[in-house]
Amino acid sequence: MTIMMKFKNHITALVAGSVFIFCPAGAQVAFGPVTGDAENGKQAYYDYGCYGCHGFNGIGRHNLANDVSGIMSNEALYLTFLRARADQNPLFPTQSMPNYAKESLSDEDALDIYAYIRSFKDDPPEVEDIPALKAILDAAKE
Amino acid sequence: MTKKTDQENGGISRRAFIGSSAAAGAASILPKGAAAAPQATASTVPVSLPPSPQQMAREVGDARPPTTFRAAVRPGSDLIVQVLRDLEIEYVASNPGSSFEGLQESIINYGEIPNVMPEFISAMHEESAVDMAHGYAKSEGRPICALVQGTIGLQHASMAIYQAYHGLAPMVILVGRDDKHFLQAHTADDVAGVVRSFTKWDAQPKTLKEALDDIHEAYRQAITPPCAPTVVVLDAEVQKEEAGDLEIPAYRPPVIPTITTAQADKIASGLLSAKNPRISVGRFRTPEGIRRAVELADLVGASVETKSPEGPMSFPQRHPLVGPGADGDADYELGLEVPGAQVSLNGPHLRTLTERDLTGINFGGIRPPVRPRQSPPGENDLMADAEASLPVIISAVQRQTDARTRKTIEQRTVRHGKVNHEARMDALREALEKKREGWDASPVSTARIYAELWPLIKDLDWCIGGPTRFSGMHHMDLWDHDRPYSYLGGHPAAALGYGLGAATGAALAARDRDRIVINVQTDGDLNYTPGSLWTAAHHKLPMLTVMHNNRAWHMELMYVQYMSGVRGRGHDRAHIGTTLRDPYIDYAKMAEGYGMKSEGPISDPNLLAAALARGVESVKNGEPYLIDVLTQPR
Repeated sequence: MTIMMKFKNHITALVAGSVFIFCPAGAQVAFGPVTGDAENGKQAYYDYGCYGCHGFNGIGRHNLANDVSGIMSNEALYLTFLRARADQNPLFPTQSMPNYAKESLSDEDALDIYAYIRSFKDDPPEVEDIPALKAILDAAKE
Repeated sequence: MTKKTDQENGGISRRAFIGSSAAAGAASILPKGAAAAPQATASTVPVSLPPSPQQMAREVGDARPPTTFRAAVRPGSDLIVQVLRDLEIEYVASNPGSSFEGLQESIINYGEIPNVMPEFISAMHEESAVDMAHGYAKSEGRPICALVQGTIGLQHASMAIYQAYHGLAPMVILVGRDDKHFLQAHTADDVAGVVRSFTKWDAQPKTLKEALDDIHEAYRQAITPPCAPTVVVLDAEVQKEEAGDLEIPAYRPPVIPTITTAQADKIASGLLSAKNPRISVGRFRTPEGIRRAVELADLVGASVETKSPEGPMSFPQRHPLVGPGADGDADYELGLEVPGAQVSLNGPHLRTLTERDLTGINFGGIRPPVRPRQSPPGENDLMADAEASLPVIISAVQRQTDARTRKTIEQRTVRHGKVNHEARMDALREALEKKREGWDASPVSTARIYAELWPLIKDLDWCIGGPTRFSGMHHMDLWDHDRPYSYLGGHPAAALGYGLGAATGAALAARDRDRIVINVQTDGDLNYTPGSLWTAAHHKLPMLTVMHNNRAWHMELMYVQYMSGVRGRGHDRAHIGTTLRDPYIDYAKMAEGYGMKSEGPISDPNLLAAALARGVESVKNGEPYLIDVLTQPR
């Protein structure tokens, strides 16, 4: 792959990411339909290591639950993002999101993963309803 | 097939051997004439001669080494222990070796109250022993000793010494050396050479007097900034020789470099004339530095930045002056062990010691061992120990403060307190919103571990003994880091295998101080030297270990995932060599095997709080405890 092609991939990834990044604050992103199989996606999400950064339930270093990610708003954008991640040899080890080429993750598996991710819901209690967190807040007020 | 007896084989059975020997022995102590011993004739000659008394003693397990002329009335190692006692070395952490039995015997037997100051702490590995010294040093700001076997033990210890060197941890490592009577592979001409690149000072004394002097010097060097491990190699002969009337030399404390009175006057003037002074605090050597920094901040009403949530020996996090302050624009900044302020006091840097890299390790090659400052020191960058300099600055401030200035300072202090409290509440509310994410998730969120722990320990004297970066460092937002040892910091050389040993060392410091140690322990790190679980159980150390069990060396898993992406060859094998699966490790059983109370694995978050409560209660009662918690990866 030429340097220009790598650069192009970077730009594509940036554009894909910017759909989310440049959404006006508070704007509702319209989410597209799901065609994959979430049950298959559950195993693939684990096998392909997505849980590493996104948690077993979509809550992790980069949250995915509750449709918070604009990149996940439709399958086409998601696939573009997966394929267009940086694929250069990093100078140092990195924990960034890897590139998922079609050769190593088929569209079918990728869309199953997408379906599984879209099923993530996180509905934690409010701080006031969690005794441990409320106690911390109350103690700090004093 | 019938087994032949020993007699049939023409031999003698062990039981028969003991029986006949006992008879012979009994006969030998009877009064003359009481019994006639059977006379051996040619036809009754036993197939084996009776054992000698020495052979008999050995057979029944009562063997003792022969007393020789080498026994000493006042062994040299007794004097070594007395030196350690005078230096108030609380512990000697050690895995036993064959070159320091003289010193070990003195530690456990010498004095009116033996095995106290120092107490011999049983470590399962030399790396653990040094990690314990590391954890203790960070907790108390003073050294204990690790005692290791020459060559082999020291090489086991070397990784932990390297980590302690990067961690600025003062400790004295005593190394046994037996050049005459033991295995060639266990000795060397220059024993300390193998760790010289990452220790501050070492000696291999030839006489007992030199050894006593060198231990003093090793202690001085270790506690003089930049603090670091030091090594004294103790010859077995020196440990065992008769000390005679040799006197123990008097200890002279080190002279720590401070700023001059003129420099202190200038700093005091800057702090007092500024409308909005600010003090940034890094890591002091001892708790005394913190006490003095608080005194200075209170005297001048400066807002303060602290490192206490990130490591030991810094300014109390919840002091009213800590925060952004009432005015964000500081017109005078003082850095105490923090570079980059308008005036910074920084003790000598570790890189001043790089000339010790005699073996050519070269500390990584791509950069010096410790990253140099971004900019060269300026005229206001004073190379002096901040802790030792603070009394001079405080004295200058007190001299220069008049009534009008004092009133201004009081008003500023009140304003800072109010604004800092509001800032703290805003930051906390924001943090709590993040912490509640995934609250009910299974496996358990790492934030929930810290949140559920806090109500259980907040009224106790506590210390986080092991690194927490991998488990999210949630204590930074949720807990109050107001003591010198609240959090002992991360892996100084970013090398695993440190957490449990360091926490065990912190627990050594805690045991007699009515303090408990919390150790949120990653699974990958634990498996390097798990034997410290036994040390904690054996010595009844107040340590609660909560496993951050994500069943992986997780950072490396992500590295390999990324590389798989770069090469487009599949991410579904990235778990190979990076995960702890097939089979899963049962940490509760592991702890149980080492004699530590334990429970788990827990994956239901609703079971966590009760388990933590049981753990804290156990630790308060002097019983270390381990809870295995299956967690989210990060």
